[in-house]
Amino acid sequence: MKNFRKIFLRVAVVLLATGLFIPPAAHAQKKISVLTWNIPYFTDGFNKWVAEFNKKYPDIQIERLDKKGTEWSTFYQTQVVAGTAPDIIDIQGGLWLEYASKGGLVDLTPYLKKDAEYTKQFYPEILRGWVYEGKQYGVPFYISKTLLFYNKNMFKEAGIKDPPKNFQEILDYARKMTKGEKSGFMTLNFDWLYWPIFAMNGVQLLTPDLKKAAFNTPEAVKLVDTLGKATQDGVINKISWTGRWVEPNDAFAAGTVGMFHAHAPAFLWFKSKAPWVTEETVGATHLPGGWSTPNSHSILISKSCKYPDAAWDFIKIATTGEGAYLLGVGTNNLTGNIPANRRLLEYFAKTLPVAVPVLKTQLEHLDKLCGNWPVAKDAEIKEAFYPELQNALLGRKSAKDALKEAENKVNRVLQKR
Amino acid sequence: MRNRHAFSEMSPMAFLNPDFFKRNRTRQLFLIWFFLTPSLVIFTLYRIIPLFWNGVLSFQFWSPYQESQFAGFAHYEEMFFYDDVFWKVLWNTILLMASAPIGIALALLIAVLVNTPIRGRNVYRTIVFMSYPVMTVAVGIIWQWLYNEKVGLINYVLISLGILQKGIPFLGNFTLALPCVILASIWQVIGFYMIILLGGLQNIDPSLYEVAAVDGANAWNRFWKITLPLLKPLIFLCFVIGIINSFTAFDLIFVMTQGGPGHATDLLITRIYNVAFKLSKFDYAAAMTVVNFLFFLGLTLLANKLAGGEAGAVEMER
Amino acid sequence: MPKHPRWPIHLILIFVSALMLIPFIWVLKTSLSGENIFAYPPSIFPRNPHLFYYVDVWYAIPFFRYLVNSVIVSAVVVLANIFFNSMAGYALTRDFPAKKTMILLFLSCMMIPFQVTIIPAYLITKKLALLNSYLGMALPVCSTIICIFVFKASFEAIPKSLIDAARIDGLSEWKIVWRILLPLSKSAIATNVILAFIWSWNNFLWPLIIIRDQEMQTLPLGLSRFLTVVEDTTGALYAFCIMVLLPGLILFLLAQKEFIAGLTTGAAKG
Repeated sequence: MKNFRKIFLRVAVVLLATGLFIPPAAHAQKKISVLTWNIPYFTDGFNKWVAEFNKKYPDIQIERLDKKGTEWSTFYQTQVVAGTAPDIIDIQGGLWLEYASKGGLVDLTPYLKKDAEYTKQFYPEILRGWVYEGKQYGVPFYISKTLLFYNKNMFKEAGIKDPPKNFQEILDYARKMTKGEKSGFMTLNFDWLYWPIFAMNGVQLLTPDLKKAAFNTPEAVKLVDTLGKATQDGVINKISWTGRWVEPNDAFAAGTVGMFHAHAPAFLWFKSKAPWVTEETVGATHLPGGWSTPNSHSILISKSCKYPDAAWDFIKIATTGEGAYLLGVGTNNLTGNIPANRRLLEYFAKTLPVAVPVLKTQLEHLDKLCGNWPVAKDAEIKEAFYPELQNALLGRKSAKDALKEAENKVNRVLQKR
Repeated sequence: MRNRHAFSEMSPMAFLNPDFFKRNRTRQLFLIWFFLTPSLVIFTLYRIIPLFWNGVLSFQFWSPYQESQFAGFAHYEEMFFYDDVFWKVLWNTILLMASAPIGIALALLIAVLVNTPIRGRNVYRTIVFMSYPVMTVAVGIIWQWLYNEKVGLINYVLISLGILQKGIPFLGNFTLALPCVILASIWQVIGFYMIILLGGLQNIDPSLYEVAAVDGANAWNRFWKITLPLLKPLIFLCFVIGIINSFTAFDLIFVMTQGGPGHATDLLITRIYNVAFKLSKFDYAAAMTVVNFLFFLGLTLLANKLAGGEAGAVEMER
Repeated sequence: MPKHPRWPIHLILIFVSALMLIPFIWVLKTSLSGENIFAYPPSIFPRNPHLFYYVDVWYAIPFFRYLVNSVIVSAVVVLANIFFNSMAGYALTRDFPAKKTMILLFLSCMMIPFQVTIIPAYLITKKLALLNSYLGMALPVCSTIICIFVFKASFEAIPKSLIDAARIDGLSEWKIVWRILLPLSKSAIATNVILAFIWSWNNFLWPLIIIRDQEMQTLPLGLSRFLTVVEDTTGALYAFCIMVLLPGLILFLLAQKEFIAGLTTGAAKG
């Protein structure tokens, strides 16, 4: 008897405990959830958006979520499978293509057509970045693209006056500055950020119909060969091809790299590691030809959103006027909104003047954006292409073999289901 | 009948009743299954069902937004015949598992040493174990610094000792990266092995050794003939822990190398995760999960055989 | 027994300890001084130690709240583990028809890493209405196969004669487990407690997936929230790591001390 009483007691305790732990049934309250990408500190501005939103929709509650880039897609996709996907999402780079191509995002084209005044405020070249198969899926949240930082001290030492004007000069100047620990040129490599180097040499990744690889050309082989040799010689810092974010930025912050091809956010990051960075010591300019790869954040609506019209209004608040301005101030970025950027530049001129030259580059040469292709399998193609390129650049394979292998792999990715 | 409850109330004559054993046996079986149930429920919910989910998914084309379609063996075909990366990560995983016995042997050595009646053994034991409660993410960050080409401690020491002229970029080197990650992984888990083996060592009746010593066996014989056989179940356990630790290496790799350079430190588990969540190919990842499962199952069965079967259980006859 | 010279043992152990400790000391050092981790040459002792980073961590995130959450979840996990694992471990020491199958089943469950179960586990937790709750966070790890086998091995090392004697004396199965086996398996219990605690305390990915409420986050998640800048490594990160790691360590120290006494009694002779 004693046994069963004990068992009974334990079961009762468990049930009781379970009862304590189950959260109360969710209210049948209207809710829109917003998932941002690694900006948890941005709260004041966000709350102002919510206040503004609630003026028009007092009965809809906004839920704020934020995840770091490394966890973002895991979280989002689990939520999608479970049917509770966040309604409004902030995505970096090309990840949105995966969801758009599978029908997971709301087509914003009709909304943009209806609100023409709002749409006019965006830079058309930037806005174009989120078109897939003729439909517009996202609008710019905050923008960034690559530029060329250069170490003015190292330039002076090597007797170089102005930043390079073409590809050959990049190599020559880099060679001049390479000595011992120091290297002349370095680039970031994730999210296709290095592509401007290829674009400026006329290399295309894919055919215009986006169905086949188009980079296996003699010119491309020559280019990769040149880059590979430069890397072997230390002219191009190896970290360009093996590092991700911390190493390249740290290397530039250590003052041992002459030219650093990165996107604008890198500036504040390496500046925080390097007290010697000022307007006199570090310059910001465009890559020759004005080529750059954007790495902007866009804001989009998940297909499962129950109140897409309300979500659209929220997005409008966040991306124009005062809302956009707050975002720029709160995250130290420029937005895709032309009037807001004017105000932001004034703001930064007052509060962070050293960043203004960097930020100015973000709005110039918008016709020379490259490295973003509206292909559904963007991530897979990157995976097929980059490791082979890396092999060639680090001398593990010849440029010819690497590009051929990459071509096979990329074509297979594009062909298979 | 009342006999089912109070054991002590029964008369010795009850044993003579053949029905007694049957009822008792049923009751015993019921109790055994009852004891197993809570754990079984948890594993069914959180391991077995997910495995079946993956299994079913591996034969379909599916994405979170679209209807599923039957795919037959398409994913497996892709994996085995066209996917170089799969074979690379499989090989890396094999290498990682091959290092588990080394870690266990080292841990056994340390456990034996810590088990001797020396002063401060508790201190040693605590120090060796301290690496385990550290979050794997932190372990990754620590070792990333240790291996750093310019300012890492390892390069510093090697250069100071004159073995190297310039620092080696350990984690950026295609051949060295994986052994370096494996070393970090062993560092983290060796305390765990040691604790388990130490527990086992301390549970061995010292009289066994005394008897053997009296019989003329030396220390080596005592270790080989008494200690090791008695530790077999725990050594097998350590090996299984090694398998689980290879899954934990997931965090290490994400922090230290992200699988690079060029998949040199990518394991099956990290590859599955990337394919699922970065490339959004859950169906393909599911197929790889099945393969991963079968691989480790085979490995465990092999280890089980080597440990003498039945998870190396030892019957103590006294 | 002849006395062996002690000093070679000490030497080896000191060397091993140094290898194990150096990375650890460096974390501590950086958390105390926050010097740029890429300072060169690396030094053992912190230059200008201060506790600012610890204070930083405490205020930058709702550390106490996260701490409480972690403690609750880990407590549930540890208790559940001891109950369920000892029961299952004992069951596995008995002979029953499906025993081999069960052992195989348990072993194969270990071959299923968490990362491949994320989505189904989430869906199941959702069906159980346990999303965003303590029990939901605790449930998947409330029993672990390793610990079951630790108990099994420990129970098997206890002489059968003892158990048979108890049965003849009329003890029921429950009593046998509670009164005889468990007290003699103190090291197994200690192992269970320590392991269950560590795994639950350091668990990162699972709470990340099922917790939407900021208030319910656990410490490792706080770490993620704390590192707002991409992949930044500062003294504050190390302070946080130390703060997260301490409870596990303290528990280990306590548990080991407690159960040493129990261990010296050893398995009774038949």
